Amino acid sequence: MHFKEAISIALDSLRAHKLRSFLTLLGVIISVCTLVAVIALVQGVNLYVATKIGRLGLNTFSLNQFSLHDMTDRQRFARAVHRNPPLRMADYNYLRHSATIPIAIAASVENNSGTLKAQGQEMDDVSVRGVTPSDLVMESFHVAQGRFIGHFDEQHRTQVAFIGPDVVKHIFPGINPLGRHILVNGSQFRVIGVASKQGNVFGNSLDQFVMMPISTFRKLNGKQASINIGFKAGGSALVQPAMDQVRMLMRARRHLAYTAKANFGLIGSSAVMDLWHSITGAIAAVMVGVSVVFLVVGGIVIMNIMLAAVTERTHEVGIRKAIGARRADILRQFLVESAVLSTTGGVLGILAAWLFTLLAGRYTPIPFSLPWTAVIMALLVSTAVGLFFGIYPAGKAARLDPIVALRSET
Amino acid sequence: MPSTLTQSAVTRPPDAAAAAIIRTEDLWKIYEMGAEQVAALRGVNLLIARNEYVAIMGPSGSGKSTLMNLIGCLDSPSRGQYWLNGQQVSAMPDDDLAYIRNREIGFVFQTFNLLPRATALHNVELPLIYAGIGTEERAQRALEALRRVDLEPRKNHRPNELSGGQRQRVAIARALVTRPSLILADEPTGNLDSTTSKEIMALFDRLWEEGNTIVLVTHEHDIAEHAHRVIYIRDGQVADDKPTARARQRT
Repeated sequence: MHFKEAISIALDSLRAHKLRSFLTLLGVIISVCTLVAVIALVQGVNLYVATKIGRLGLNTFSLNQFSLHDMTDRQRFARAVHRNPPLRMADYNYLRHSATIPIAIAASVENNSGTLKAQGQEMDDVSVRGVTPSDLVMESFHVAQGRFIGHFDEQHRTQVAFIGPDVVKHIFPGINPLGRHILVNGSQFRVIGVASKQGNVFGNSLDQFVMMPISTFRKLNGKQASINIGFKAGGSALVQPAMDQVRMLMRARRHLAYTAKANFGLIGSSAVMDLWHSITGAIAAVMVGVSVVFLVVGGIVIMNIMLAAVTERTHEVGIRKAIGARRADILRQFLVESAVLSTTGGVLGILAAWLFTLLAGRYTPIPFSLPWTAVIMALLVSTAVGLFFGIYPAGKAARLDPIVALRSET
Repeated sequence: MPSTLTQSAVTRPPDAAAAAIIRTEDLWKIYEMGAEQVAALRGVNLLIARNEYVAIMGPSGSGKSTLMNLIGCLDSPSRGQYWLNGQQVSAMPDDDLAYIRNREIGFVFQTFNLLPRATALHNVELPLIYAGIGTEERAQRALEALRRVDLEPRKNHRPNELSGGQRQRVAIARALVTRPSLILADEPTGNLDSTTSKEIMALFDRLWEEGNTIVLVTHEHDIAEHAHRVIYIRDGQVADDKPTARARQRT
């Protein structure tokens, strides 16, 4: 009936006291900004990670000594170390012949603290990997230069290296690395190929590696280390059947009882994403909790300012009641006013979050966007806060005795 | 005794009451002051007919304001009956009284009681808003009311841009706009100089001539002389009720 009037009264009083209104709304602004920015952040980072991980393993999964779950906790990991035997080349050869669903199987073994030397340059903390020739189809890079490790290399344990673009940048800047020699942990290798660039995930370069035949790796480093076995399925629908088949084959090979826990880890990109989501979910939950606290504080501040407004306008309420305003009319007027107040705070908070995502999107590689669902939710929540914390002041105004209210001087 | 009174009043309203705008029977108002009870009104009986022009006079503390609050449906009596335009309003709950105030009574106050942030037109529209009347008809009726008090050119001025007399005329327009059965004016000239007071009283006279029922609450005799009947309140009771010189002239 007269919402328009109540809204224009609310906007008038907002305009009349700009600083006071801003301070009043600060709690709501901060909380809505946090809420929207955190949702934007989590969505952006999830999208970023999903594209990175998605590229890492399109339709791939791997069989490892430990599952991701085993590695989330030190005690759990200690138990897994006792329970899970290492994976051997024999396991690889068994699966290569028995697993019929995957279209490719590769074995690899990795050491993350390799040292490279060549051309008078040195490079530490390089990932040194021994791989089978079939590993190439598991990777998200392609051969940019030269060739990948072949069957001949694997059979003859040749000392050949396939290197990541970061190694080229550090050790062979401006030089064609093909055919040049490089010392990997003191052994001499010949560079046969270079991978295409993959970029960073959280500051860790994916391009800082050296690959050699897995047979060569085991000749140089010993055969104790557990290997990882990678699989590629023929399509996204075949990933789950392939994983089920590998799980079944491994359980049979290790004679696990029906009820026994698996003593190996099967990690698909979905498992990685699940783990990632549980981490970001926890962060988001904490931030949502923080913003809820802000919101309650903001709501109480609004309640306080509305109580002041009711006192300030007692005479006005008296006039309105004298000429026929009912309780519901007065209640509605003040409820609309506090809802407009807090919704304004919500809009300002969304604007602040929008600025944040613009800046963050410009200065980080993460693809930020303002999620519409979060914007609508923030608006609804801020309006609801205004309505909820407006109930008490509005009720107080509605219950005023018209005679007493008329007598109060403004 | 009061119970038989109530019964007879409800079942057999006197014939004179049919045409009455205001009829009260044994109206009491008792305030609780801590443990003490103070009776502001002690059994007031009034009968005011349609198109009467009545002044209520009395010294401060006489119960005059209490009576005005009861007549204006701003308050409910502790005891007794009150019919306004044929409706029993003495036992109505809050929101029903608000409805009655909106439909039946046009208030004019000493301090004007206009909304300071609203224009003259909006102030006049306000009772129609609470009556649930649509935007177009509302503006039309408010303009018409402003025209009746010769203030149409000032419709977009706020109260602080208007003189005291103009503010009171806006308040009178606001009282008229719902076409109430009673115009209740509480010291309408109390805040005005004598020239402006004369203008405002001339306006009330004109409203009476147009058929309105007017009740003036005042303590000034020359203001009360505009009415045709003066009711004196003393110690919470009707002390005197007589026609004014003006009424005697008319007859």
